[in-house]
Amino acid sequence: MQTTSPASSAGVIGEAGAAIAAPAGPARRGIAGSAWEPYLYLLPAALIFTLFVGVPVVGTVVFSLVHYNGIGALSSAEWAGIANYTDAFTDPKFWEAAWHNLILIPYYVVLPAVLGLIPAAMVQGMKLRGSAIFRVGLFLPYIMPGVLIGVVWRWLLNPVFGPVNDVLTRLGFDPPTWLGDFTWALPTVGVIGAWAAYGFCYVVFLAGMQKIPADLYEAARLDGASGWEEFRSVTIPGLRREIAVVVSVNLINALRAFDVIKATTDGGPGRQTEVVALYMINSAFGVNRVGYGAALAVLLAVITLVLSLLTLKLFGDGDD
Amino acid sequence: MGSSRRGTAFGGRLAAIVGMLALVLGGALVPSIAGARQAETTLTLWDTQVSGVALEVVEQLATEFEEAHPGVTVEHQGYPLEELQETLPRAMQSGEGPDVAQINNGENLMGPMVRAKQLVPLTDYDAEYGWTADLSEGLVARNRYSDDGATFGEGTLWGVSNTAEIVGFYYNRQIFEDNGVEVPTTFEELEAAMQTFKDAGVTPLVLGNLDAWQAIHLFGTVHATMTSREYLDGLIYRSGDQSWESDEIKAAATKLQEWVEKGYLLEGFDGLNADDAWPLFGAGEGAMLLQGSWQAGDVQSALGENGGFFPVPSAGDATVLHVGGVGIPYGITTAAEDPDLAAELVDFLVGDRAREVLLEKGQLPAGEIAADEIQEGTVSGDVYAAWNEALANDQLGHYMDWATPTMYDTITDQLQQLLAGEVTPDEFAAALQTDYADYLAGQ
Repeated sequence: MQTTSPASSAGVIGEAGAAIAAPAGPARRGIAGSAWEPYLYLLPAALIFTLFVGVPVVGTVVFSLVHYNGIGALSSAEWAGIANYTDAFTDPKFWEAAWHNLILIPYYVVLPAVLGLIPAAMVQGMKLRGSAIFRVGLFLPYIMPGVLIGVVWRWLLNPVFGPVNDVLTRLGFDPPTWLGDFTWALPTVGVIGAWAAYGFCYVVFLAGMQKIPADLYEAARLDGASGWEEFRSVTIPGLRREIAVVVSVNLINALRAFDVIKATTDGGPGRQTEVVALYMINSAFGVNRVGYGAALAVLLAVITLVLSLLTLKLFGDGDD
Repeated sequence: MGSSRRGTAFGGRLAAIVGMLALVLGGALVPSIAGARQAETTLTLWDTQVSGVALEVVEQLATEFEEAHPGVTVEHQGYPLEELQETLPRAMQSGEGPDVAQINNGENLMGPMVRAKQLVPLTDYDAEYGWTADLSEGLVARNRYSDDGATFGEGTLWGVSNTAEIVGFYYNRQIFEDNGVEVPTTFEELEAAMQTFKDAGVTPLVLGNLDAWQAIHLFGTVHATMTSREYLDGLIYRSGDQSWESDEIKAAATKLQEWVEKGYLLEGFDGLNADDAWPLFGAGEGAMLLQGSWQAGDVQSALGENGGFFPVPSAGDATVLHVGGVGIPYGITTAAEDPDLAAELVDFLVGDRAREVLLEKGQLPAGEIAADEIQEGTVSGDVYAAWNEALANDQLGHYMDWATPTMYDTITDQLQQLLAGEVTPDEFAAALQTDYADYLAGQ
């Protein structure tokens, strides 16, 4: 049935009814249909958001401005001003941790994107038997809890009874202890992070490729493009938005890296794999400097926000 | 004693946060359930018993307490040490704390909690129940703080331990026999034994240091043969002008690097968690395992008659100050609505019955072990004998990470670097002293 007035969508049926009901609608129905109505629908979500995101965020900022050990009464907290922040900037451990996050970026961002893109490009357009199972399998690591991933990899890489070193030794290599090795620990947790994320990239890219019009490929082929040229000049430009999503999500994961590292090396050996999130938790709860930990949390949030906005600006196409 | 005693489960801190969340949600439900039962009382008990024989002991004692007190339910919740340490203060603050809990000694938890007025003084209860009657004052002092929490090691009693701890070498009798090695009686013999095993292609010493805490015990054990009472007490109680940049700290560090170089430690020890290491030893891998007495029951059940234990032997005629002491003490929190009832539970956990159960299960209770309880040729028998001797001769040292609130963090970091050859013994000692001096300066 055709309707002519937006008010009729509220339930009035019939053209004649719509014509009469439309002007009277807001008055008769109270808040329904008024400018306030959308906000009413938002209320439950807004309440939950305020309670579980808004309040903790404000609380963290407040904590970052005090010295507090987290054990005594809140009244034992002392005003610190920006001292926790200035401490962070002069704390070599913070910079070391931030540097480790920076090193993880290629592993968390570039590696999974490439690992996801290659199989996606290969299976694109193919009628692959059981491709759904394949997709689910690749996506699985992404939805596994990081702690579980850490435990699984700690077992795989176990130098005494783990399968990885067992195979490498049989092949005649002399493998390091990976997670316990000062040189290899950080790259190793990086690769584990990449493994956890590439299935997500694969699924996003595959979905994006299905959106690219087939006639673009046809045109490219008529112009005599090779597979590689087709990939470079049709597929990649067509995936611009997907690349933006993958890069920003992975970048955020690199900056907030915590669970996998906590479950594998806990920042070790020495401080070789200590990242900002680990250092933050350890400061707040390990050595009971809650204010300092909160300041690190705020800094990490600000850095993440700035970098992800930059990423979206860089890759986004400006029309959204 | 420190956070190094036991391993933490993976994701300790992460789990602590999840635990806190669960606590908030669970806390909302508990009162309504308790309210429905009305006449019933529930005592909550938080400690570090999460698995194995140690868990069996506490669960049995809790059940016996419930049988002796109709209408009272004990809700036991075990956490890995690090997690308990992080969760307990937050739970106290949000009014969801347990009635009875294990409170880690010193500045780890007891000091801050005394200052925050979150603990119930136990001096009067102790007089009533006689918990500490059989313990030397040196051991009891570790659970004392002045009422204002300013002075450590004297004043009011805030906790009581039910177990004792001594770190040493578990060994595989079969492997020793096969290689013609006797239990070493001097430090030199210990090193010679490790060389014999190494030459025979047997792993001399099993250790897992990926999670970083077992090396504290290795370092402490080697250092124990090189130190003096005056130096060690002064250092750990912060009572003297002792420095970590001492010849003995450097000598112990040098010795550790020497052992790594000679291949005495399990290959891949740096990529293996401590809780993965002892089952390897239990399965017959390696001649010796460096661990604390808390693993006695587990090693005994894995190796049976094939297992044994000896404390680190002395170098020359020097006195050894063994790494050890008494277990993490149980205390009563101000969240307890009925402290007298909570004290009765503590009595069950640390009293005579607890002692019986601990001995039955091969664990090491606090205080001297009667001769008729010691069965020679068993893991537990060896542990008991070693403990008795250390106790009788005042040969108990300390856990090195106990010195400052940040020392656990610093020493685990530094030991991993030391064992990997990333720092020299001099740099190692200097880094520990920096942590120590920073803390003293802030006092």
